[in-house]
This record gives sequence, C-alpha cells and structure tokens, in this order.
Amino acid sequence: MSTISLHDTHNHDNHDDHGHHKETFLTKYVFSQDHKMIAKQFLITGIIMAVIAMGLSILFRLQLAWPDKDFPILETFLGKWAEGGRIKPDFYLALVTIHGTIMVFFVLTAGLSGTFSNLLIPLQIGARDMASPFLNMLSYWFFFAACVIMMSSFFIQTGPASAGWTVYPPLSALPTAISGSGLGMTLWLISMVLFVASSLMGGINYVSTILNMRTKGMDLWKMPLTIWAFFLTAILGVLSFPVLVAGVVLLIFDRSFGTSFYLSDIVMGTQILPNEGGSPILWQHLFWFLGHPEVYIVIMPAMGLSSEIMSVNARKPIFGYHAMIYSLIGITILSFIVWGHHMFVTGMNPLLGGVFMITTLIIAVPSAVKTFNWLATLWRGNIRFTPAMLFAIGMVSFFISGGLTGIFLGNASLDINLHDTYFVVAHFHLVMGSAAIFGMLAGVYHYFPKMFGRLMSSKLGYLHFWITFACAYLVFFPLHFLGLDGVPRRYYAFTEFEFMQKWVTVNILVTWAAIIAALAQVAFLFNFFYSIFKGKVSSQNPWGANTLEWTTPVERIHGNWPGEIPTVYRWPYDYSKPGADADFIPQTVPFSQTMGSNMPHDFEGNTESERIQREWEEANPSSDASK
Amino acid sequence: MVHTLKEEDLKGDMAFNAKPRKFVVWLFVVSSTIMFGGLTSYYIVFAASKGKGHGLVLPDVFIYSTAILIASSICLFLASKALQKANFTSQKLFLWGTLVLGGVFGYLQVDAWSTLFHTGAAFVNNNAAISMIYVVSGLHLLHIFAGFCFVLSSLIGAYTGLSLEKSKFRMEIASIFWHFIDILWIYLYVFLLLNS
Repeated sequence: MSTISLHDTHNHDNHDDHGHHKETFLTKYVFSQDHKMIAKQFLITGIIMAVIAMGLSILFRLQLAWPDKDFPILETFLGKWAEGGRIKPDFYLALVTIHGTIMVFFVLTAGLSGTFSNLLIPLQIGARDMASPFLNMLSYWFFFAACVIMMSSFFIQTGPASAGWTVYPPLSALPTAISGSGLGMTLWLISMVLFVASSLMGGINYVSTILNMRTKGMDLWKMPLTIWAFFLTAILGVLSFPVLVAGVVLLIFDRSFGTSFYLSDIVMGTQILPNEGGSPILWQHLFWFLGHPEVYIVIMPAMGLSSEIMSVNARKPIFGYHAMIYSLIGITILSFIVWGHHMFVTGMNPLLGGVFMITTLIIAVPSAVKTFNWLATLWRGNIRFTPAMLFAIGMVSFFISGGLTGIFLGNASLDINLHDTYFVVAHFHLVMGSAAIFGMLAGVYHYFPKMFGRLMSSKLGYLHFWITFACAYLVFFPLHFLGLDGVPRRYYAFTEFEFMQKWVTVNILVTWAAIIAALAQVAFLFNFFYSIFKGKVSSQNPWGANTLEWTTPVERIHGNWPGEIPTVYRWPYDYSKPGADADFIPQTVPFSQTMGSNMPHDFEGNTESERIQREWEEANPSSDASK
Repeated sequence: MVHTLKEEDLKGDMAFNAKPRKFVVWLFVVSSTIMFGGLTSYYIVFAASKGKGHGLVLPDVFIYSTAILIASSICLFLASKALQKANFTSQKLFLWGTLVLGGVFGYLQVDAWSTLFHTGAAFVNNNAAISMIYVVSGLHLLHIFAGFCFVLSSLIGAYTGLSLEKSKFRMEIASIFWHFIDILWIYLYVFLLLNS
C-alpha cells in the first residue's frame, strides 16, 4: 500500500517543484506532446465531430419520416440544398455519406482509440509517455486537418462526397457522375489520406509503447484488458490501413489522371468513356480488406473499456481473463479473412462465398465467449450502478442484439435477400455504432476524473443513459422489419414504391426517437463541459480500482508519476478477494502485504513463495477460517 | 514524500530511449510492406482475371538502377561500420556516397519512366497493369525520398557532433529504412519481371 499513501494528493505544492522547463499556452494546450493532453484533444474533437454527424442524421431522418412535408427553416440554413424547405436528393446522399464517414472514422476510430489509447496506455502500463511523443502530436494534428478538410466540403458549390462511406467506383471515380463526385469527393480522398496517416502514426506508437515501455513487473499477462484491446486494435490498424491507402491512391489516379484501375466500358449520357479493362470489384476487395478489420478497430476498444469498467463496478474479477484475451486475439486474426462477406452479391464464386461465410460465422465463437464472460462477471457481483457501469452494460446489450443479426447476414444465401436493405443498417448501427459509442461514453464517465480531476454529475449521467438507451433501441430495432420487407438503404424517396409506403409511419416513430436521443445528448454535453470547470473535485481513486492510473496524482503532471514509476506485483482484477482487508487490492501491492488473501495460484508455481505462504498460514491458523 | 522528489529520478526515466523509437521504424516498415502487398495483390488479381499482365520488356535502366541501389545499401552498411569503429571521417564519406547513389537511383527511375513512355507504354493506359508499373515505382521513389531524409539527418548529426548514442540511433534508423527500401525495390522489380 505504500505507493498509494506516498502520493498524498492534497499536496498541491509539488507541481512546480519538480522543475520542468516553463510551458507556454501553445506548448501546453495546442502543440502538446503530453499524452494526456493529446487524449483530451482527440476526445473533444471527437465529440464535436459526433455532434455534427448526429445533426446530419437528424436531417436525413426528417426526409425519411416526412417525405412530402416542407421545413422552411432548412432552407434558411442549407440554402439551395434544401430549396423550398425540402432536402434535395443529391444532398441527401451527401448527408448519409458524410454521416457514415465521420461516425466510423472520425468518432469511433480517432475519437475512441485516439482518446483512450493515448490516455490509458502510458498510465496503465506505467510509462512516462508514449514511445514518440512528437509522432503522437503529429497524429493529432493530421487528424485535425482531416476533420477540417472533410467539413470544408460543406462549403463548396457542388457539396460533399455522395458515393456512400464506402465510396464505390465508378460513382466515386467519375467526377461528373453526380455533383458530389466532383470536388467534394476529392476533398474526401485528401481527408482520408491524412486520416490514415494519423491513424498509422498513432497505432505504431501504441504498439511500440506497449511492447517496450511497461514498468517493472508488468508482464503481458498482468496488463488490464483495456491495454490488450488497444494493443490488438493498433495492430489491426497498422496491418489494414495501408491497404486502404493503396486503394485510395489508385482511385485518385482514376479520378484525376485518367487511368483505368477501376473503370471499364462506361457510357456517360451519350458519351463513351475511353477507360477499359479496370474492375470496380477490385476496389471493393481493397476497401473491405481494411473495412472489415475497421469494424473491429471500432468495437475492440469499447470491449476493453467495458471489461475493465464492469469488473471495477461489479467488484469482481473479470470472468475468464485469459479467455477474454484469447478471444480478442481470435477476433483480430479472423477479421482479416472475412472481408468477402461484404461482397456476396458481386458475382462472387459461390465456393469462395462459402469460405467467407464459414470464417464469418466462426467469429461468433470469440464474440460469444466475451459476451458470456461479461454476463458471468456481473453474476452475483456487488454492482455499483455508476453511469459508466450502465453504459458498459448497455454496450453488452447492443453487442448481443446487434451481433445476433450478424449471424443472419453472414449467411451468403440470406444475405442475397438482405443485402443493402435496412436490415444491414439496423445490424451495424446496433453492433458497432451503438455498442461502440456506449463503450466510449462508459470510458468518458469512468475516466473523466483522470482527465480533468473532477467528477461528472451522476444524475445527468443517468438521465443521459436511460433516454439514449431506450431511444437507440427505438431507432434501430424497427429498421430490421423494414429490411426484412425489402426496403433498400440509401433511397431518397422510397415512398415512390407502393409496397414500401406502409413503412412511413414506422419511419416517423424512428425519427422522433432519433430527435429525442439527440436532445438527450445535450444533457451529456452540458455535464461534460460544466464538470470540466465546476464538477466535484475527484479523489485520487474515486472508483476503488486496481489499475496503475489511479496511483498517479489528481493534478495530472507531465511524466505521470512524481517519483519513481510504481512496480507491479499482481494482475489488475483482485476485487473482493476472500481474506483481504478491502474489496480491492491495487496492482502495486506485493503479495507479502496480503498474506491473508493469497491463493496458491497467485504464485504461478514459484515454490519459494509457496513455501513462505505455507509457513505463514501454519503460524496464523486463524486467518484460514475466513477463507 | 512527494515534496522531496528528485529531479534526477524523473530525468532518469524520461531520458532518451532508443529502443521503442527503433521499434516505431520497424512497424512503419511493416505497414509499408502491407501497402505494397495490397498493390501487388491488386496486380495479381487483375492479371488473373484479364489473362494478361503488363506484357512489356522492362527497360534496361531498371537493371542499372537496381545495381545502384544495392551499391548504396553497401555504402550505408560501411558507414555504420565506420561509426562503430568511431571513424567519423569515413562515416561521413560513406554517408555522402549513399546520398549520391540514392540521387542517381532517383534519376534512373525517372529515366526508366521516360523510356517506357516513349515506347508507348504511358501511365494513362487501358492496361491497368502498365499503369501499375508507374504506381509502384513512384510510391517506391517516395520511400526513397523519405530514406534520403533519414540518411541526411544522420549526416547532419555527424557534422554537428551529436552524442555517440544519438548518432548511433540515427544511423540505425537510417539503416533499417534504407535496407528495407532496397529489398522492397528488388521485390517489386522481380515481381514485375515474373508477372509480365
């Protein structure tokens, strides 16, 4: 326990003592190389992008619910894109494209991994900072530039990219195809190149830091599950994003230089294009070789955060620590050999489709292992329902209900019917959209004290959780039924088809639920920004957690620990250990200080320690009774 | 306890640590390999589905440029040997040699492009396999440029009298990267030769 009491947090005067060179506003808040500040930059940029993307979704939900109604206010804001108060078809496509792009890449990749990998990797493994703080800073500023360029496409005459977030050619490769394929698409590609560069710099840094900079005693099997999740996520990014770069480079050449990588036999109006020999299917291969690992890049950090938060708040060791790690590794490996399930209807050889179907369905195994382990962690736990805990449980709920429909879609024969319908939209919005955002919000509520030294309001947190949770189901669950009935996604005016008209009423319900969910986020935003300045001051370890980040002072100094970096003696999940004084034993407490609660397996076969423990137990027979 | 912490403690931990940074370069090598893997697998799938590759006899200049690049790698190897023996004069000499050979390589690649162009195999081509020759050699040339910067930083370090630890670090990352792009080019060249 010595390490804990040593860092008495009420001594504020140490901050200036340990003489760092003076920091200016620019080096502290803007071009910061401190991983904690970079984490906050990623988080706040991510939140802003999330609010924008959510606003876009409300706009296209209005069109879907009330296709025949005018909203004059829209014209005030959007001008000619909503002439007469109605969103134009071209702009509708731009809305869904940019909504998807921002949510997948900017919020759930950079906002989630960028925030929590940066914040937690050095803090939880016991390092002063990242392997390369400079690269880390560069990573944020590339991301920021990517955000600015992506948003700038809203301010150009022809509007943002409109080919969907997967930007399939030929629509994306022919600048004159639709208005969004012009300059907007070019900006999209530039933005994505910067984004990939940012992700690679971040990911490379995370992997190197985790492998090289762990504190004494922190072997791989003593790392918290958050770190395992960030580690494997970063590996996925390093191995898959370069393939997207390869694809994007070829797409840029097709668009701007006239090559034929993806183009062949195209007639535009009355004009026959000279391109020959290319294949748009090859883009899909290159895109989905990234794209599928990408969905795990999105969900795995959320899984890691939820595992940690659920264990802390259930006051129980995580159930099946090793199984959790092996299932993460399994998901990581499998994610590279399933991309074909996005392409079942491209005329793929049915035998190949069968192979992709089998690999896809095998992913259900590690996913189910994780799910059952979370449920077993909750089982008979001494649960503290903090907002973070609720969001973590919500994440599990969405992962289950969205994951089950993945088994439908993974079947090649079923996918032929369900492909590109609202069933797919419902599936991935639950399993990767809602689940990942809930994991991220759980992380924000849980680690807010570590970022800002203050606590967020629980009451507003509960309000935020329950409304968002209910509304997310109200939005996405009905969409399954639209999809089963054959309503295609991305259609602007689906009411033109008579058999789909009956779904307008459902769409009205969905849109109202989406609006209410959006309003609930105001509670979060207020809580977040208000608490940064006025929240209740946090204690050093507000949740009674074991991991290393809670041994750092509340003041969040550069270099993280004022003195020596603490040594790690045990795994991070010693909660409610029988015979222990408190219901948690931090990783920094050696076994010699907890003789009454040590278990035979704690010593990992070290006979000397086992002998000492045996002798102690013989000398203190009374303590055995408590076991 | 907190009040009495020593600044040296912090400095000891925050001191320059080369190992994780070198690892960063290795990881970059991995991701770059994957990118070229993506491009060459595009080529394989394209060639298999169309039943044709680029169908060209590659210009001879590529043979010379390959030899030059291998020579530059040897040069860099000798430079890092010289640094280990603390022979700074020959270190600088070999680094200059590497830079010059790297520059010649760049020139020869551009020369090869113009040969290709004049024989009718232009970049904008209805045979994507031919365009791919330009794409992979062009992206490789970008890597040469990055490697050039690494070697240059090593050379600048040698002139400004950097500490031995840091100049060894710069030398090592330059070596990792330069030998990687050397091997990468050999892979790409052989790949293009075999899949004509």
